[in-house]
Amino acid sequence: MALPRLTGALRSFSNVTKQSDYNGESDDLMKKKSKLREYALHFDLTWKKIIEFVLHNVDKKEEAGINGDLKDILQAARQIVGAEYGQDAVESGAVFLFKIFHVKECVGQDETKAIKQMFGPFPPSSATAACDATCRITSRFTEEQLADLVRMFEVKNGDTARGFGKNIIFSLDMYDLDRSEELPVNGENGTHKPISLDYCRFQNNHLATYQG
Amino acid sequence: MPALPLDELQIPIKDPATGKLRTLPALHPDKKTERYFVLYKPPPKACIPALVEEYLERAQFIADDLDWLLALPYDKFWCQVIFDDTLQKCLDSYLCFAPRRFDELVDASPALLRMQERLHRCIFLTFLRISTHKESKDHFITPSVFGEILYDNFLFDIPKLLDLCVLFGKGNSALLRKMIENIFTQQPNYYSDLDETVPTILQVFSNILSKCGLQDGSSAEPQKLEEKGRVSPCGMALQELKDVVFYLCDTSTTLWAFLDIFPQASQTFQKHDFLSRLASFYELVIPELESVIKKWTFEESSLQADVWRRLSHARKKLVEISHIIVNQTCLQPILENSSDNIQPFVEEFLQVFTSLVQEKRFLRDYDELFPVEDDVSLLQQASSSLDETRTSYILSAIEAAWEGARRRKAPVVGPA
Repeated sequence: MALPRLTGALRSFSNVTKQSDYNGESDDLMKKKSKLREYALHFDLTWKKIIEFVLHNVDKKEEAGINGDLKDILQAARQIVGAEYGQDAVESGAVFLFKIFHVKECVGQDETKAIKQMFGPFPPSSATAACDATCRITSRFTEEQLADLVRMFEVKNGDTARGFGKNIIFSLDMYDLDRSEELPVNGENGTHKPISLDYCRFQNNHLATYQG
Repeated sequence: MPALPLDELQIPIKDPATGKLRTLPALHPDKKTERYFVLYKPPPKACIPALVEEYLERAQFIADDLDWLLALPYDKFWCQVIFDDTLQKCLDSYLCFAPRRFDELVDASPALLRMQERLHRCIFLTFLRISTHKESKDHFITPSVFGEILYDNFLFDIPKLLDLCVLFGKGNSALLRKMIENIFTQQPNYYSDLDETVPTILQVFSNILSKCGLQDGSSAEPQKLEEKGRVSPCGMALQELKDVVFYLCDTSTTLWAFLDIFPQASQTFQKHDFLSRLASFYELVIPELESVIKKWTFEESSLQADVWRRLSHARKKLVEISHIIVNQTCLQPILENSSDNIQPFVEEFLQVFTSLVQEKRFLRDYDELFPVEDDVSLLQQASSSLDETRTSYILSAIEAAWEGARRRKAPVVGPA
């Protein structure tokens, strides 16, 4: 990891630089994960909005079944998030699960990873339950309604797409090694002396060159 | 109503304890959002799935957080930048550890490369936003206060500026130049920081010399006993040799990238007699390392070719650094000023090259890329009272430097 670098040396020797001390930060990933649960509360898309959307888009007579499915998702979220985090956290967890599974049919590797990244280790059965319930809901939708749903999630992601510098043309080009001449073979530029393994002769020739 | 600068803006907030409204400055620690930025770690050297996964997870966090940061409104963005310590450490860790294109190549998966590219972009945009004091008609910071904010919160320092140049200078030179010029204009303290950093850079040169077992003529310290054993780079282990060449390569490329983007720094370097220090360093280290690499019996010849290539690259960059400084401190002012005012710059040019006449190898390599004769004829055209004795002294020194080289080659091509 510690490649020898000029700026590395300057950082450690120079007194005009704030000493960057990265020790004791090795557990920052753990800290980050535990904080993420709290941040999940700040999703713009709330569980309430999802319920509204879903109920608005299906027949009244299916409402009972849908409500059951929504409860299943919430229950799964409670098990994954942890009940001790309160109703808000559980609901935002439910939003998260619904968002992950609304275009999926089963719990794949990516989904497992995303949930784990967000909430840490979790019971797989809860994820499966959430996925199944989400599928039961979305299976009632028409193509158009599904497209609306996908769009609803995209709009929320779109906020970051308006961030600073989105129109700035950025180049990934970086300084590389310059092209340079090849290493001269045996240290002699462009010469093709026959190579001999006769050491005595080599040494005599060598001496002769110097004396001559 | 004309918009107020962010540093004078007051924003009403509800006191959470009493429920009363009170006003706070727009830039206030209480207005920072709770967010935890993780540190950047470079991609693993080998494609070990668990390590790749950890890299991706970490990088994903950083990229997401920076996207969020860049989408923040102006005042929130600045509160975060100023008051969130984890953000500053995260940015700094990227600059420290982000792989340079000239580092050793590592085979990486497409997913990893995509992630690295995404990070690279949002890191640049973040620094771009930090170095812009006027984002729009309504969103700006008073220039003098902006300079204080940058400096007092360590948002930039000399190592960071060097890193930015080497990482982003090739593809985004125009923007980066504007950024760095703006930083130095709004906060001249960075010039004095640079002034304090130059001796450390020279110390890096000395350290490379002593790693090679070569003595720096300018060092006043007596040679330490334990270092006496190393007589030349011949005695170095392969790994040591590799490290020295990599270090030299990074050092020369980074310095060159900085001076290429911000040549205005040249005067500050030259205050420390940088050119002659650089030339004598070059003279000592380059021929020595060249001969070691040629003689070395490498187990893999590809490694030998790679180390050679890096040394050649470093060599070229050192010469180019010298030329930027000569150009910026002497030639450019001669071209720009009227003939009455150019005398000090002519004098500086003559003095610089007079001090270099001993450094034959350096002079030869410099002359090959940037013919000194051309510069001297510029001087002759610009100044009527040029001291011909001194210019011919310099030119004959360069001639002699070339002679030396030809004589060495003579037995090969010379007639029998």
